[in-house]
Amino acid sequence: MFALIATLFLPVLAAEQQAIVVRQATVYANASSTAQTVGQVGAGTRVSIFSRKGGWKEIFSEEQAVIGWVRSYQVREGDFAPATEIQTTADSRGFLSGLAALSRKASSFFKSESGSTSSGTATIGVRGLSEDQIKSAVADPAELEKMNQFASNQQRIDGFVRQGKLSPVKIPHFEN
Amino acid sequence: MKLLLRILLILGLALGPAVSSTASALDLGDLKKQLDKARQKIDENKQKIDQARGKVSTGEEIEIGGNLVSGLLGAAPLVDDASLQRYVNDVGFWVAAQSSRSELPWRFGVIDSQGINAFAAPGGYVVVTLGLFNLLDNEAQLAGVLAHEIAHVVRKHHLKALQKTMKREFWTSLTVKAVSDGEDRQKLNELVNAGVQLYATGLDREYEYDADLHGVVLAARAGYDPYALLDVLTTVDSINPDSEDLTVLMKTHPPTAERLGNLTRKMDGKMDAYASGRLNAGRFRQLAKRP
Repeated sequence: MFALIATLFLPVLAAEQQAIVVRQATVYANASSTAQTVGQVGAGTRVSIFSRKGGWKEIFSEEQAVIGWVRSYQVREGDFAPATEIQTTADSRGFLSGLAALSRKASSFFKSESGSTSSGTATIGVRGLSEDQIKSAVADPAELEKMNQFASNQQRIDGFVRQGKLSPVKIPHFEN
Repeated sequence: MKLLLRILLILGLALGPAVSSTASALDLGDLKKQLDKARQKIDENKQKIDQARGKVSTGEEIEIGGNLVSGLLGAAPLVDDASLQRYVNDVGFWVAAQSSRSELPWRFGVIDSQGINAFAAPGGYVVVTLGLFNLLDNEAQLAGVLAHEIAHVVRKHHLKALQKTMKREFWTSLTVKAVSDGEDRQKLNELVNAGVQLYATGLDREYEYDADLHGVVLAARAGYDPYALLDVLTTVDSINPDSEDLTVLMKTHPPTAERLGNLTRKMDGKMDAYASGRLNAGRFRQLAKRP
């Protein structure tokens, strides 16, 4: 029965975000650790991600014939397809839909290679920010002044919070 | 016994007549009592010095932080995108408003570096590299990253680290004098230099775990999905750790997998109720100019 359902879903799943299980994970029926357990997926299992909810991801593993929810951190998104397979296009979520795509995107932003930064030309990227660069940096008070100018204020925040439908919640800090 | 007497005599000389005059009453019980008293006095003095050192006013803290960030900006300037910088400031300001130090002049920035990292400086300064920003997918993730850095400031982690690094004499003289005089200006520079080293060597691991935990609570208080920081860490964890973009982050932070494990264990059951917080992916994409 399950296999049948899984087969029906397969064409849809092919277009989903691919991911890999990084730690042995319990699969739950819902996004809650009190929900019914529907199976286990081992580290290294390839899965598809349907949806996300809080710290949970809804996954499907063809290999282990299981659909359900696992903790977000237990799966890593990305394109892990072998080179011979056609790379699926990035979904609307984009992030980590292939680190190769990401690095391509990043490299298109940057025109120069390491160390060729010159003050005032903010469009030229610094490759990395090495320990040496940090240690030997010469203070740039003008840039600090610029940073100060972008600072937010209560008036701006009111609109920002409203537009983003953000409502503050009272939560105590818990012990480390 | 002889040794005990000698110790007592030395202490007596140091602590004044109150101890030395009674030292002549060679009663063993008395001696012990006096010795305990002397020890207590030494401990009290030590405590006083410890309390005095590292105590900087909020004004000094902001000055130290400004100098540190100015250095970072010298290494990598701000990304030339005013709307992006303002957006990051709005997210950061809102998260910081949920902290116990909301009154600080919070300032945030995205700097033009491909290295994947974020930095905080005393007084309310936070910068995120473009390399890290480009890994983010929604506002909640940005809030999570900023909240971690805000937590470093709120918990005064850098100041505590500097307190450990700099010698005791340094602090006692700094707190006595006003920062405005020349000698203290020199001291401030010393402090800033030590702070810069911190960016390259990192804070104690326990401070990083503390900032992770404190940060997710701040993000949740601000109405964001607190698990978004876990998503960022998962993303970072998936990048080849040998990548030069990760060199400084890896050197200065605990292994990402351990941070993930620690955070998940600590959050388990406590944060599920807030997992439905906002992600605001649409607004993020628009401002980050993503397709």
